[in-house]
Amino acid sequence: MAHAGSAGSIEARALSKTFNGTVHAVREVSFHVPSGEIYGFLGPNGAGKTTTVSMLTAGLEPTAGEASVDGLDVRRQREAVRRRIGIVFQESTADGDLTGRENLELAAALYSVPLAEVRARVDSLLERLQIGEAADRLAKTYSGGMRRRLELAAGIVHSPKILFLDEPTLGLDPQGRAGFWRYVLELRREHEMTVFVTTHYLEEADGMCDRIAIIDHGTIVATGTPGELKDRLGGDIVTVRPTAGSPTLSAVLAAVPGVASVAEQDGSLRLKCSNGEALVPEIVVACQRAGVGLQGVSLKRPSLDEVFLEFTGREFREDEGLSPTDRAVIVNRVRQQMGGRR
Amino acid sequence: MIRELMALTKRELLRLARNPQALGTSLLLPILYLLLFGQGFNFGKYASAGVVLGAPTYFSYFAAGMAGFVAVTATLFIGANVIFDRLFGILKRISSTPASSLSIFGSRLLAGMIQPVGLAFLVLGLAIGLPHIGLSGLVVTASIGVLGAVEVLLAIVVLSAMFASLFLAIGFSVEQPQTYFAVVNAINLPVLLTSAALYPWGFMPAWLQSIASYNPVTLAIEVVRINLFAGAASYYPYSSWVYLLGLLGWAAAMILIAALLARRALGPRH
Repeated sequence: MAHAGSAGSIEARALSKTFNGTVHAVREVSFHVPSGEIYGFLGPNGAGKTTTVSMLTAGLEPTAGEASVDGLDVRRQREAVRRRIGIVFQESTADGDLTGRENLELAAALYSVPLAEVRARVDSLLERLQIGEAADRLAKTYSGGMRRRLELAAGIVHSPKILFLDEPTLGLDPQGRAGFWRYVLELRREHEMTVFVTTHYLEEADGMCDRIAIIDHGTIVATGTPGELKDRLGGDIVTVRPTAGSPTLSAVLAAVPGVASVAEQDGSLRLKCSNGEALVPEIVVACQRAGVGLQGVSLKRPSLDEVFLEFTGREFREDEGLSPTDRAVIVNRVRQQMGGRR
Repeated sequence: MIRELMALTKRELLRLARNPQALGTSLLLPILYLLLFGQGFNFGKYASAGVVLGAPTYFSYFAAGMAGFVAVTATLFIGANVIFDRLFGILKRISSTPASSLSIFGSRLLAGMIQPVGLAFLVLGLAIGLPHIGLSGLVVTASIGVLGAVEVLLAIVVLSAMFASLFLAIGFSVEQPQTYFAVVNAINLPVLLTSAALYPWGFMPAWLQSIASYNPVTLAIEVVRINLFAGAASYYPYSSWVYLLGLLGWAAAMILIAALLARRALGPRH
């Protein structure tokens, strides 16, 4: 019997999915998302994020393990689970041959929103998500951002306790992403909604989520608040790129006072240290004394990129064209718009 | 369930109404048959009164058949929409809601039963109007009462239900539009050619008559012919209600099969 989570919570215990008996998409994933939290599932494409969401939203039968949503077993109480959750899929699922209003009215009917409330709710959502003026236009004429907002509106028209967002901002420009997240954060604050979001945008996860699980090859490799995850790295990271390989350089740099650890990666050395800025001159001097020429030295404050590298042993793979600057802009814009509140 | 069924049926009908090209394509084949095949074979004694199983001309006999055939061509898009809805993520959205698979299937079936009725009567109306442009037309020789109109309506609705179910069953079972249209095309022509839509019974060899007598298109258009042509009933071995009963059997079986396939396709994936 599945462990019954509390109202508004999401619970997974050793949840697994294997396709065709050989492809292990999700391997014994366990986590608990308390009511009202924004929980991010961060991982590259193919990590198992969407498979996990599909199992939690009663769309995919788990191979093993248990999960409950709002205290309901996702295997045995599918219809009840679906009534309590909202979903925004990564692909556009709005009906292009219906108007925005018709799409929302259809969603309201399918979620059994009381008839007397449908009109007011639909109008309110259309205005709130800034698609009021286009409400009676066919959805296929909407821009990408408008379609995403329509998807969000369709996902929350029944005021769900729990909202699942599967790569919700995929394909949106920075402005569209910022707008989308602003609405999500507002809704979460007003309705105390639990939000489970999958993303492979590190800055989104960093800036918007209360807690993050990093998933790779179907396994959760780390969980915590963004701050906790970065703290686990033990401070700043100084990357030293020598002109030629030196077998003794690692030992030399490890001996520099303040350096916590040294690791090799692709011909470079990654040094963890508590105060990297102050330590860079000493590291350069140590290299010179060891007779090792340098191509460059860089200092990074801990970011989720480093967290991912630390826990998976490889760089985070992103196949979307958005630059780190664009992503940082989105996060900052949302933070400013929300007045620093989450 | 009734509310979700109605909401989903409204969606289906709105989409059909907003895609006039689909309606046009549904009508194209029956109209081409009317203009080319029907006119071409309506010569000599076949263009004379009372020669074809109670119908005054071959064209009249044939036009009644086309009213039935339109149920096949119009419901084809109901099944195709399942494929496209799956490709565009719409089916994923709908099946992620609490709506039951029965509602999702039922709404498509209902739309598939409603749409061809109008088109069938459009085909009949067009066939009646053809003499205005100098072509042979459909001549209705019987006075159709309320019961007759109900029988004709029922025949087309039940035939549409049967074919909508068949195409929905295919739509819920295959993933690619190419596969769907290949299968559907492989069905359409044999269905037409093994029915009594084109050939008068006496023109068919015995083996074809055996097949045609069980063909659902035949069962429906016999009901239409019995009601459109005075004295036609005497040419057929059974009353129109027997044909309707046979048609209902076909439709019930096909609806059951399609509903089960839809349930399997819309349930949680494994």
